[in-house]
Amino acid sequence: MRPDLDDLDDEIRGHMAISIKERIERGEDPEAARLAALREFGNVTLTRDSMRGVWRHRWSDSAEALARDIRFAMRALLRVKGMAATVVVTLALGIGANAAVFSVVRGVLLRPLVNRDEDRLIYIRQSATGLGAGGENMTFSVPEVNDLKSRATTISAFGDFSTVDLAMIGLGGEPRMVKAGVVGGSFFDVMGLHAVLGRLLNAGDDGPKAEGAAVLTYRFWATTLNSDPTVIGKTVRLGPRTATVVGVLEPSVPYPADTEIISNVVTSPHHLGATMVTRRTHRMTELFGRLAPGTSVEAARAELTALYAAIVREHPEAYSKQANVQLTVRLLRDQIASPARTILLVLLAAAAVVFVIACSNVANLILARSVRREGELAVRAALGAGHGALRRTLLAESLVLCGAGAVLGVLLAQPLVSMVSRYAARFSIRALDVTVDASVLWVGAGLAIAAAVLLAYVPRLPSPHAPAGLGLTSGSVRITPGTNRRLRVFATIQVACSFVLLAGAGMLLATVIALQAANTGYNMRQVLAFDIPTPAPGVSASQGDFYQEATRRVGRLPGVEGVALSMFVPWRDAGSFGPGPQFTVEGYTPADGEENPRARFRVVSPGFFAVLGVPMLAGRDFTDDDRDGGELVAIVSQSVAQRLFPNGEAVNRHMWWTDPYFGKPAPRRIVGIVGDVDDENIVRAPAQAIYQPVRQIGVAGRLFVRAASDPYALVPAVTRAIREIAADQPVERAATLEDIRAEVLSPERLNAFVFSAFAGIALLIAVVGVAGVLAFSVSARTREFGVRLAVGAAPRQLLARVLGEGAVIAAIGIAAGAVGGYALASVASRFLATVQLPGAVPVLGAAIVLIGAAVVASLMPAARASHVDVVQALRSE
Amino acid sequence: MAKTGDDAQLALLQGTLDMLILRTLQWGPQHGHGIGQAIRAQSDDLLKVETGSLYPALHRLVKRGWLKAEWGVSEANQRARYYRLTAAGKEQLSRERDRWSQLVDAIGRVMNPASEIKE
Repeated sequence: MRPDLDDLDDEIRGHMAISIKERIERGEDPEAARLAALREFGNVTLTRDSMRGVWRHRWSDSAEALARDIRFAMRALLRVKGMAATVVVTLALGIGANAAVFSVVRGVLLRPLVNRDEDRLIYIRQSATGLGAGGENMTFSVPEVNDLKSRATTISAFGDFSTVDLAMIGLGGEPRMVKAGVVGGSFFDVMGLHAVLGRLLNAGDDGPKAEGAAVLTYRFWATTLNSDPTVIGKTVRLGPRTATVVGVLEPSVPYPADTEIISNVVTSPHHLGATMVTRRTHRMTELFGRLAPGTSVEAARAELTALYAAIVREHPEAYSKQANVQLTVRLLRDQIASPARTILLVLLAAAAVVFVIACSNVANLILARSVRREGELAVRAALGAGHGALRRTLLAESLVLCGAGAVLGVLLAQPLVSMVSRYAARFSIRALDVTVDASVLWVGAGLAIAAAVLLAYVPRLPSPHAPAGLGLTSGSVRITPGTNRRLRVFATIQVACSFVLLAGAGMLLATVIALQAANTGYNMRQVLAFDIPTPAPGVSASQGDFYQEATRRVGRLPGVEGVALSMFVPWRDAGSFGPGPQFTVEGYTPADGEENPRARFRVVSPGFFAVLGVPMLAGRDFTDDDRDGGELVAIVSQSVAQRLFPNGEAVNRHMWWTDPYFGKPAPRRIVGIVGDVDDENIVRAPAQAIYQPVRQIGVAGRLFVRAASDPYALVPAVTRAIREIAADQPVERAATLEDIRAEVLSPERLNAFVFSAFAGIALLIAVVGVAGVLAFSVSARTREFGVRLAVGAAPRQLLARVLGEGAVIAAIGIAAGAVGGYALASVASRFLATVQLPGAVPVLGAAIVLIGAAVVASLMPAARASHVDVVQALRSE
Repeated sequence: MAKTGDDAQLALLQGTLDMLILRTLQWGPQHGHGIGQAIRAQSDDLLKVETGSLYPALHRLVKRGWLKAEWGVSEANQRARYYRLTAAGKEQLSRERDRWSQLVDAIGRVMNPASEIKE
């Protein structure tokens, strides 16, 4: 139906031929006839175009016009390369940051897990918020799990997982401590995971009579074992037991712990022992459940909470009132995402702020450019270009700019994603396998289009009612008060947004600095900590003798000033023992309704306090004579002594643990008081701790060495000394207390670093923005400055004037940012649990930085203003 | 304003051109040049149709389904595109004719109110 171009040409040619023929028949000369026919026809191309136009759709018509405009825009932009490049790079930063953060948010918070029917998979958590640190997730004990299993009807099956440290021998490399998952036979079925090789554990692997069996996690198999398919059937030694490798797990989110192997209960002697099986307060099992068909999460939550309340009532001795125990039920996906949620949302907000800054900066540049183009636009309007056509011209230009920005931004997103995901992996393991996917492209394209449309509507079009005469005089830049105001508004927005980011980054930096500078009470630099876990099988001597011998040999090494044992490396082992057990002392009766006090239970060797630099305040240290069979003794921390013995007579009184974990209460004589240290938190809180001698309790797998000079130089010698006693003994994770603190603080440092990066980008863009606005304003006011100079203003006054303008923009921006930031924080506090407002120092610091940056940014335009050539300025118009 | 006046005039012309084309084709299929000549001849040379308007109008009418176009050979032995009235085109012609006489009548009443009183 629709004719093509040849058809149209044919039709016109036919018309001509007929017309000429008729004229010739009427007697005209052939050449004259041809010319007359042509003349009569008029403009052939135009006619053909409008014939064709009949067949064209409206949208394709305007698309073609837009394509024309885009070609025009590219040519126009090539003439202003500097401005175009600034816009593209600014936008690329904004778009790239957003695309990267969004991919990570999507990958971590929104993507479903690989587990079968993952929306039916729940995680059950027991918390005791009343116990402070370690109480958020207490996990479950075996009797608790059994109670829930036997009573619940909304859960079709439960899976249990507990983490143990095992010395592993076999499967590549030295003997070493690995984190292993110990699971019941239902675990993998409940989790809905498959094997990529061999089989997973099932009900046949349950019970004390089963063969030891282990499943390798995919990452361990793929990286450490190079995906070796012959691994199935091999035997590994796990501590005192052995296990056969039966399969390899498919790649999946390692939750609750990133272990190398997952083995059945029989591989862990502890799991078969009476403590594990019968003690209600011995909690180390994480609990998963699969919703029964037709049940909702809400129904399961209601049922389990009710069951739990009944269990708590039945066993009042296991759930203290003070502990405020609670059971929560949520989808596993949400549980995995929850630690990363806040940080990712804040990151997303920061990226959005950077985007706003980038957009307003670009808006500024484009606005300034369109003012320079006012002449051109006025000419086009005078020649009959409608508002739509002019808008389309502007849209084409901003599309070209934003499109280029988006392409660059998406390219930039690739490395950014890997950076952000490595960062976010500290909060959620899922971030590790976030990759750049199509969503980045969509986000980039969406943002670019949003920016382009926004920017196309920034400049005002020449009004049809306003006299065009002024605009038509080419070459001169006239800046109207309206434009000037808009430029300043955008610059102010940038300053305000930068201020919010700077203050936030300042707050995080201040936190990190405070944490780094906090006095811990330890000798941080010279003390080296090692993990020397329970000796491998084959060590002939008893465990106690092994450690005794180890300290003796290490103590003889040159450069070692002191050596001691403990069960706990400060901060690194934080949380591994949960909230402290309850105890009491002679002569102490709790007030009505109050429970026995709690204290951290720590096992140390003689010399521990001296080696770590913790002062003895009264009494004596442990000695080698405080051993099995001797008098039971203890050392308490200062806060214990002060709280329970207000009159200062703690030494030589007796204390005993009341927690059922310790069995029959055995009074211990307090032989010493030491200073308070907090090995759980880096910022020291009053921490009640009670120490017992290692030779009265058996095992303490952490070795501390105090070095005379460079601590790390001692590591090989210490390792050698210990391997001389037991060749297969793992000696691991040597680090000074200072480095351990730094490692523990690395999430905070990373937070601060990432936000500083965002704030830095924002600051840079804002400086460019303020400088741009002032430069433009100065160049448009050359005449004004000329007049001022001519009537006797000193160049210095002009300089100060322009600097002042910059400072005013900054000041208003800071005020707006402070108000906006406060509003933002109060909105955010409704959605996020912990929203902190920065203190005075970061806020003031951010303000000073911004004012300083604004003044620096105004320096160049100000210098230009004060050097205006009077004669030229006055002549220029 | 002057601008809206221009628009109305253009619309009127366009409408009438369509009608004239439809009317001309009532005699039988014709090619573009022939249609132009026919209108000219029928109006005693008072109406001269610009080719720049005629051809787009023809294509517009084809697109609307009022005309059908097919290639043929003219009496001058020249390949030409012939336009033929469709059934829908015939209906449209009668509608346009009614509208036109109403319009002429209405404009006549406005322009010559006296004549009406006389009658």
